[in-house]
Amino acid sequence: MPAWIEIKDARKKVDDFQLGPVNLEIEAGTITALVGNNGSGKSTLLKLLMNLANMDGGAIRILGKPVDGGDESWKRHITFQPQKQVGWNAYTGNELKNLIAPLYLKWDDKLFEHITRLFDIPLDKRFGKLSPGMQQKLSLALALPRKTDILILDEPTASLDIPSKKQFMDLLVDWMEPEDRAVVLTTHQADDLRKLADYLFLMQDGQGIGLYEKDRLVASYRRYWLTEMPDGPVPGELSRDGRLLISDDPDATEQFIVAQNIQVLDDQALELEEIISLLLK
Amino acid sequence: MLPIRLSKDSREPIYHQIEKQLKALIAGGHLAAGTPLPSIRALSKDLEISVITIRRAYQDLEAQGFIETAHGKGTFVKEIQGTVKQDTMTASVRAEFERAIQNAMDYDYTPGEIKAVFEEILEKLGKGE
Repeated sequence: MPAWIEIKDARKKVDDFQLGPVNLEIEAGTITALVGNNGSGKSTLLKLLMNLANMDGGAIRILGKPVDGGDESWKRHITFQPQKQVGWNAYTGNELKNLIAPLYLKWDDKLFEHITRLFDIPLDKRFGKLSPGMQQKLSLALALPRKTDILILDEPTASLDIPSKKQFMDLLVDWMEPEDRAVVLTTHQADDLRKLADYLFLMQDGQGIGLYEKDRLVASYRRYWLTEMPDGPVPGELSRDGRLLISDDPDATEQFIVAQNIQVLDDQALELEEIISLLLK
Repeated sequence: MLPIRLSKDSREPIYHQIEKQLKALIAGGHLAAGTPLPSIRALSKDLEISVITIRRAYQDLEAQGFIETAHGKGTFVKEIQGTVKQDTMTASVRAEFERAIQNAMDYDYTPGEIKAVFEEILEKLGKGE
């Protein structure tokens, strides 16, 4: 299957911040989380993706079409939910729905009603008068029913309370049931990563550090408590503290330890958050 | 939700853990033929594992005849033959013994010592009946 989003050497300079060159491919059927500190370039990358800013170089294709090619018909197949909706404040939920729904062939009114009821969203109030959490819920109610092939969510859970976060996850999981859709989201919530993400794309200071399959990433780190710590370096060693060793190559580490006749008292996987912190150090 | 419990601290690959537990549930009769299984995406969320891993486990189980996917309808438990049931149980029991014996050998137990421990545990558990 061809990549649904294809980013090749995309670059953008904003004041003294340099994004990229970034390379990333997104396949259908997957949820990819962009992970990085504030200011790492996630939102800028999403803007380039939606052709809301001009690239300085490189190429981005969505469903095979270059985003900056003049023909913007690809936009009907992609939904972008920014952190802040621009130009929505003066409209009520009902008015926004009437503006948005006709633009999308597959608009699902039942799903819209389901989400508005689930979150108890007042549709007769102006968007600007809603709380940040309610704005986020209404944005979602206006995003998912479009049933586009690609859904881009910029921090969709930032203002949600715990029960709403759980409902959001269930909605997104249901939305992904047809296996030909793709989601890209940015998040700082570890729970979003654990329950939703298949791939993590790590970013730091405008650079893409790497695209990791979640389970493979977790399996490639391990913590060992040893009967004694070898004096010299251990293969895979990332850090040591007394007799505690962290490795990013468990096979090599274990082989070496056995050969040295050292016993492992205990060993453990690392939490996803710990691994991310190590990679973004 | 399925009673699957993954050990993330184990070095055993996650897809292998899922396969093993699903096979045990099917061969043990806890999941009858025709029972619908969760979608790949739903199981991915419940177990906090990527769809790539779940898909791999489902594909292996399908290749081995434990489950089948009806296009557009979902994934279901397949009718399995008595011999497959028996083989699955035998394989599962043997694997547990192998692990325990390997563990004893790692601690330099002799075959005699291992047998003694085995007899002792067998007697203790047998009395409990």
